Order: sequence, then structure tokens, then C-alpha cells
Amino acid sequence: MDLIANLALGFEHAFSPTNLLYCFIGVFLGTFVGVLPGIGALATISMLLPLTFHVPPTTALVMLAGIYYGAAYGGSTASILLNLPGTPSAAVACLDGYPMSKQGRAGVALLMTTVASFFGATIGIIILTLFSPVLAEVGLAFGPADYFAMMVLGLVAAATLTQGSPIKGIAMVLVGLCIGMVGTDVQTGQQRFTFGIPELSDGFSLVAMAMGLFGVAEVIASVHRIRDQRAADRPKITFLSMLPTRDDVRRSWFPMLRGSGIGSIFGALPGTGPTIASFMSYAVEKRVSREPSRFGKGAIEGVTAPESANNAAAQTGFIPTLTLGIPGDAVMALMLGAMIIAGVQPGPRLVVEHPEIFWGLVASFWIGNVLLVILNIPLVGIWVKMLQIPYRILYPAILLFICIGVFSVNNNTFDILMVMMFGIFGYVLMLLRFEPAPMVLGFILGPLMEEHLRRAMLLSRGDPAVFVQRPISATLLALTALLLIWAMISLLRSNGAKQRGAAAVANEAA
Amino acid sequence: MKRARDYGDIVGGLLLIGAGAWFGIYALEYPVGQLRRMGPGFFPAVLGALVALFGVLVLIPALFRGAELPKIEWRPFFMVCAALLGFALAVERVGLVPATFVLVILASIGRRGFSLLPTLVLAAALAVIAVVIFSKGLGIPIYAFRWNF
Repeated sequence: MDLIANLALGFEHAFSPTNLLYCFIGVFLGTFVGVLPGIGALATISMLLPLTFHVPPTTALVMLAGIYYGAAYGGSTASILLNLPGTPSAAVACLDGYPMSKQGRAGVALLMTTVASFFGATIGIIILTLFSPVLAEVGLAFGPADYFAMMVLGLVAAATLTQGSPIKGIAMVLVGLCIGMVGTDVQTGQQRFTFGIPELSDGFSLVAMAMGLFGVAEVIASVHRIRDQRAADRPKITFLSMLPTRDDVRRSWFPMLRGSGIGSIFGALPGTGPTIASFMSYAVEKRVSREPSRFGKGAIEGVTAPESANNAAAQTGFIPTLTLGIPGDAVMALMLGAMIIAGVQPGPRLVVEHPEIFWGLVASFWIGNVLLVILNIPLVGIWVKMLQIPYRILYPAILLFICIGVFSVNNNTFDILMVMMFGIFGYVLMLLRFEPAPMVLGFILGPLMEEHLRRAMLLSRGDPAVFVQRPISATLLALTALLLIWAMISLLRSNGAKQRGAAAVANEAA
Repeated sequence: MKRARDYGDIVGGLLLIGAGAWFGIYALEYPVGQLRRMGPGFFPAVLGALVALFGVLVLIPALFRGAELPKIEWRPFFMVCAALLGFALAVERVGLVPATFVLVILASIGRRGFSLLPTLVLAAALAVIAVVIFSKGLGIPIYAFRWNF
């Protein structure tokens, strides 16, 4: 059977000593930055991107991917122990993880999140293995109009499924698209919005943007927010304290299955990823639970279900990136960038033309996840200790590595100044409560979207009806419309509820 | 501190309107073309208009509701920016090690309870790590010390 032969090829590549070593480095670093609040997978991958120029593409991707899903494992540790998420996708783990820790059940929570992570990731990888080749075949039939529609769906999903207001989300996507326009127009060679600055003729650098928005802005906001732990608050994690009760296991396995399903769907949809998946999964668990009042007070399924969702999404997020060449979020865009730098064009042909890269990567996910279980269960004590590194030591180090990382890309101090500008911009967005993630996605997809739109209109001789005549694009746009209608209804409903609430308060006061 | 209007979103909406209008109008300087053969100005002009439109949508509801003002961390904000600027200015002129000291000291002043001696120890340690990992280990062409004015 093809699948088995392909996987065998993949494992053959993944088990080479170099790839194994880089896989280990990736998941180790990933867990490390995932555990530490104030630095995440995105900043780490941007810092290490220039270092991957020197290794073969499969090896580079294996390591970068390991950072990404390794961070998804580590993120919940700080949520559980400190009530401070290590990564955005682990924010939801604070809700029930921290109460568990206060009840003296931190060990159980840590063990069960690792189990849930492994469970979710496994399901995610199975779906990735089974569906990517199919989707790649569908992808071969995609025309420019279909690509454009797919990107519209991804951007609208990213904008409307955020925590904040969907209107602000869409505004951020549009701002990102605008920023993506800066640089040389591919079709005419026209310089747009460069103001004669030669460094801008290739557009803004994604690495500088990501490090500014997610690295520097985060540091500014965290300098006084993250308090140093005193040794007395340190919980003791012994192996005995990690043993879950039979009740914990009974309550967890079905929510983990549901969480993995939700995570797989949101991961595979471009524009949405682990963070949205984990929040959705928590909301679903609370709704289907027979005792919703337990949530927020240390319910084990409130930790395990979102954790499965988050890790499943981290794996299935590779589906649109690898098979269609459409990155679902900023991390995937960096991954795509790494592939293009290495001379590999992602897209429907990748699976056929470079099976060793595609299947090698998939096989490395299996290996990486097993490594992560080993890193996270017996070595949990190390990660707990890491959390005691004072932030006053950590944040100058983060800033230094950001500077060196971005400087080494082009040996150019202009890029460091760009990081500073985006840091300021990101901090302003944070103060005004705008989400930077949809903007980054808009920035990445902007030039691609414009190119496909222009090509589609050229092919249809200026007839916009092409978007509804082609079945793939019509379906995708219909889904987009549904999503917008749903967002509008829920916006109106929540406003209505607020007004009614205010009226009730006013009545009582009267 | 709760204010009568949502000043955060009012500012955000106004910024979006301004930026979108400027972007869209500036884009019209480039050839726009027609639907069939779009010029480089077409897509950005449409985007600018849409940004301004969503700015209005953010602004209007904010005029009719109250919200808390965000708290700005001025000290970390200025010192982190100064640290990055200092590193950028120093690294090409005097090299990685002095630039690391500049960055670590400026960044550390950004936090309340700054004291010099531990900061210098941290800077020295980070400088050693940076030189060992980046210039020696990974072979990135970046001088530890230099004099280049």
C-alpha cells in the first residue's frame, strides 16, 4: 500500500542521526520556550530561521516544526503552576489548571496535560497522514479564483474567531493586507509605498515584524507584570503526586477525544489555529457537561480537552501549509519561508515531487511526540525549576537574542530598527486592544491574494462572476458568508444582552 | 478608572480612518488599470477604503459606551526601545560584546529596582554566551570587538 511505503520512506529520513538530533533540539527548545512566559514558538522560530540556511531543508523543517509543537506541550505548565500562560494557546489551561494546583493537584494536572497533548497530537498526525495526499490532489484542481476564495475564508475566519470584537479583527486583517502591499509589485515592477528606502523594496521583513509584535511588545508589557517567584511558593512535584485517580481518567478520555476533533478541524482551517481551538474546546466542554458548575474550580476535563485540541491543531495546521501552500498563521508562514529559502516550493506538488521532505516531516512528528512525552513526564522537575528563572534575567536575554537573530539575517542594523518600530506598534495595538495575529496573517497573504485576484480577473476577462461559477471557489465563499453572518448575529446578540443587563441594573437602582 | 466613553476605541477608530484614507489616496498615484487588467494601484486603493470604513465601524459604537483607560508602562516602553536602538548603533561600530552591555544595562533600567552590579554580571554572562553560540558555534560573521567609525 502507498501509505505504508510512504511512511517507511519518511521514517527512513527521520531516523537519520542528523534529523533525530535536530528533532530533539527542536522539541527541547520548544518545550523550554513554551514553559517560559513572555517568549513563544514564533519568536524562537524567527530567531533560529537564519541558522537553518546551513542545513538541508528536511532537517531545518524538522527542527522548526519541533519548536512549534514542543511549545504546545510546554505552554500549560506555567498556566497550571503560576496562573500565567506560557503560550497564548495555553491561556485556557489557567481556568481549571490553576485551581487544581491550589488544591494540591498540580502533579496530576501536569501529567494529564502531557497525556492529553500526546493524545491530541496523535489524532492530529493521523488526520494529517490520511488527508494531506487527498487534499493535495484536490489542490491540483485549484485555479487562481479558488486560491483567492480560500484565502478570503482563512482571513475572515482569523478575524471573526478571535477573542475580541470581529470588527476589530477584520480591521486588523485589512491593515495587515495594506502593510503587505509595501515593496515591489511583482507584475509591473512598480515600487509601492517604499518612499525611496532601498531596504523596503522587498517589503517589510516577516521576521522583524513577528519579533517586534510578539517579542518586543510582549516584553514591554511583561516587565512589571511577571513577578518573580519566591522559593516558598514553589510546589513540590513528586511522581506519586502525578498519579491521576480513576475518576480523573474516566472524566478525561471522552473530552480528550472531542477536543482532538475540534482541534483537528480548527488547525486544518487556514486562519485559525491552536489558540482558537483550545478556547472553542473549553466552551464546548462546559456546554455539554452535566455539571457545568465544576468548571473554573479545578475540573480535570477543563484542562485535558483544550490541551488535546491545542496539540491536535498544532499538527493539522501543517495540512493547508504543505498541501496548498497557504499558511494558516504566522508560524506556518515562517515555516513556508524556510522552505522557499531552501529551494522547495510548498503546494500541491510537494507531496509528489519531494516525498522525502513531506513524509520525513510527518514521520518526525511521530518521533518528536514520543520524545516530548519522555521530556515532559520524567523530566517535569526541570521545567518547574525553569519557571524560577527571574524575569529580570530573562527579558534582557530575550531582547539580546532577538537583536542578534534579526541582525544575522542580512547583517543589517536597519532590521533591528524595524523590530523596534514594530515593537512600538505592537504595544500600541495591545493598549488599544487590537489583536496582532490576524494582522500578521493579512500581511503574509496580502501579496499572494493580490496576485491570484489579478490572475483570476485576467483569465475571466474582467468578469467577477468567475468566483461564483467555479464550484470550489463558490463553496469557499459561501462558507465565508456564513461565517460573517454568524459573527454578525453573535455580535448583535451580545450587544443586546449587555443592553438588557444594563437596563436590569438601572431598574434595580430605581 | 472608568471613563464615560471608550477612548481606546475612539483613538483606534480615528487612527484606522486616517491611515486607511491616506493609504487609499496615496495608492491612486500608481496606475489603477481596470478590472480586467488591474494596475498596481487597484488593490491597495480598495484596501485603504475598506480600512477607513472599518475605522468608522470601530469608532461609532465607542462613542456610546464607557470603558477603562489602558495603563501605559512608560518606563519599560522607553527603556526597551532605547536598548534596541543602543544595540543597533553599537553593534557595527564597537562590536557584539560592548553592544550586549549597552542593551542589557538599558533594558534593565526599564524595571523598577534596578541595581548596577547584578546587571553587569548578567551582561558579562550574556556576552560570553552570545560570542560562544553565535560567532564561534554558528559561525555568524559578527565581530566580538571592533573599532569602526
